[in-house]
Amino acid sequence: MESRILKPALGLYVALFVLFLYGPFVVLTIISFQQGPEGGPQFPIIEWSTYWYRHIFGLTPPSRIAPLPFGEALLRSMALALMTMVVSTVLGVMSAQAFRRKFKGSSFVFYLIVLGMMVPGVLTGLGTSLLANNVIGIERHWYTTAFATHVAYTFPFAFLVMLAILNRFDSSVEEAAWSLGVDPWTTFRKVTFPLIFPGVLSAMLFAFTLSLDEFPRTLFASGRDQTLPLAIYGTFSVEIHPNIFAFGVLTTLFSFALLSVYGILMAMSVRRAKKMAMQEDIV
Amino acid sequence: MSGEISIQKRQSNTTRWLLAPGIIWMSLFLVVPILMIVYVSFWTQTTFNISSDPTLASWKQFFSSDTYTGSLWTTVRIWLIVLACTFIVGYPTALFVGLFVKSKTLSTVLLVICVIPFWTSFLIRVLAWRPMLGKEGAINIVLLKLGIIQQPIEVLLFTELSVIIGMTQIYCVFMVGPIAFMLSRIDRNIIEAARDLGAGFGRIFWKIIFPLSLPGVVVGAIFVSVMVLGEFATSGALSGRKVNLLGNIIVTQVGSLKWAMASVVGVILTVVMGIVIAGLLRIVDLKREL
Repeated sequence: MESRILKPALGLYVALFVLFLYGPFVVLTIISFQQGPEGGPQFPIIEWSTYWYRHIFGLTPPSRIAPLPFGEALLRSMALALMTMVVSTVLGVMSAQAFRRKFKGSSFVFYLIVLGMMVPGVLTGLGTSLLANNVIGIERHWYTTAFATHVAYTFPFAFLVMLAILNRFDSSVEEAAWSLGVDPWTTFRKVTFPLIFPGVLSAMLFAFTLSLDEFPRTLFASGRDQTLPLAIYGTFSVEIHPNIFAFGVLTTLFSFALLSVYGILMAMSVRRAKKMAMQEDIV
Repeated sequence: MSGEISIQKRQSNTTRWLLAPGIIWMSLFLVVPILMIVYVSFWTQTTFNISSDPTLASWKQFFSSDTYTGSLWTTVRIWLIVLACTFIVGYPTALFVGLFVKSKTLSTVLLVICVIPFWTSFLIRVLAWRPMLGKEGAINIVLLKLGIIQQPIEVLLFTELSVIIGMTQIYCVFMVGPIAFMLSRIDRNIIEAARDLGAGFGRIFWKIIFPLSLPGVVVGAIFVSVMVLGEFATSGALSGRKVNLLGNIIVTQVGSLKWAMASVVGVILTVVMGIVIAGLLRIVDLKREL
């Protein structure tokens, strides 16, 4: 009875909720097609054009609006995200692997790791730059201090993903390998790792995307050379033009491309696992 | 017998080596930096320099200035309002996704739809609220066209309201996810049994559904609280510098190299955060629930 009224009502509510979530993005996309270079980042649209997209790639005649200084920042952010991804995932797999056995102080270590995603970036950023700048007296760089904070932030995510995967892991296959005399490292490489690979992919995706968009930690800890979010933040203080919105659309499309690669790799590893299972059935 | 012991010993050695890098990294780059904030908050700050002579000067300055204490109350106020808004906006969505949608595929699709906006850079998402809320912004245009208002609403942008709207939109998904997860784990038979016994939806909701979803609410509230309390970008970009959160004070103090004051504000933020999380964990025992 109640579900006849309640369910459609809630369904309608969810539709409004999605509108609320996507509203800003829709507006951002519309305004990115604003006429240039006179058109500002607001309504009404004077004339539809791709001016600001061409502006990003320097394909427009020079005007009073400087191109976005994002080229090097983008490269730095990608490098930083890759470094962070590798280190976080390795640390995450190692720690989660350790957590499969009971050990003393396990809940202390658990909270120590999870603390990394719980402490606001402002604080870790501030603390790290205090440590580097005032106490030790070294220069801050995106690939040193900022990198350290990025890993401290993304490692907990990788750890939790791996923990969830390894909790459901059937260890009898490993025991079979051990009982056949295979050493632990080879067992991990040949048996455990292929089985947990989907989880590793998810951990990598988490670490990479979180690091790529990380802002508060980087703001304090990265020193002179800007990463991409810092470069975007830099445009906040000066006048805003629709090119920043066009850039937002492009980075979103890039994220989708990344997500598709993840989806394809995931599907491939699932299919391989199925094929292996089928071969076992035949044998 | 001795062989078993040596295997155990080797295993605990392995555990140690597996854990060591992670523990060292987190201690050096998370725990030590936070301790540094506490330490530096007692340093002596002069106009151009900072020295490690211990003093309470920065602490006294914080509590004697209306700007600083005011920012503490602004932070607490905005946090409470945004927390309430994300809960009110998010709970019905979670209810639909986690409980009312029968097909697993549809609920996954809905959750993915909720996550997609996060693929746009955080700062650009914040910035996108400007053409949304402005005097000639999308909301005013739509409302004027629909004839709901005659005059554009001007209080939407560069006020505390715009900060609240922006933060609610950015963070409400963190409420939806955990709540939907807890709701999807509810045994449908309990609800059926209650219905068979003649309970109406209201009664079922307050006696069964809501209590069982509470751990999800707490996890969501922790996520939202941590992020909102540490915010400074949204308040900076959408309030026109009218709303100063503790985070904004830290950024400006570091910008003018007032490290000691930034550290004092950092310690206060840490304390607020600790109280909030401890309070939330009091509501439910997460370790038992998850």
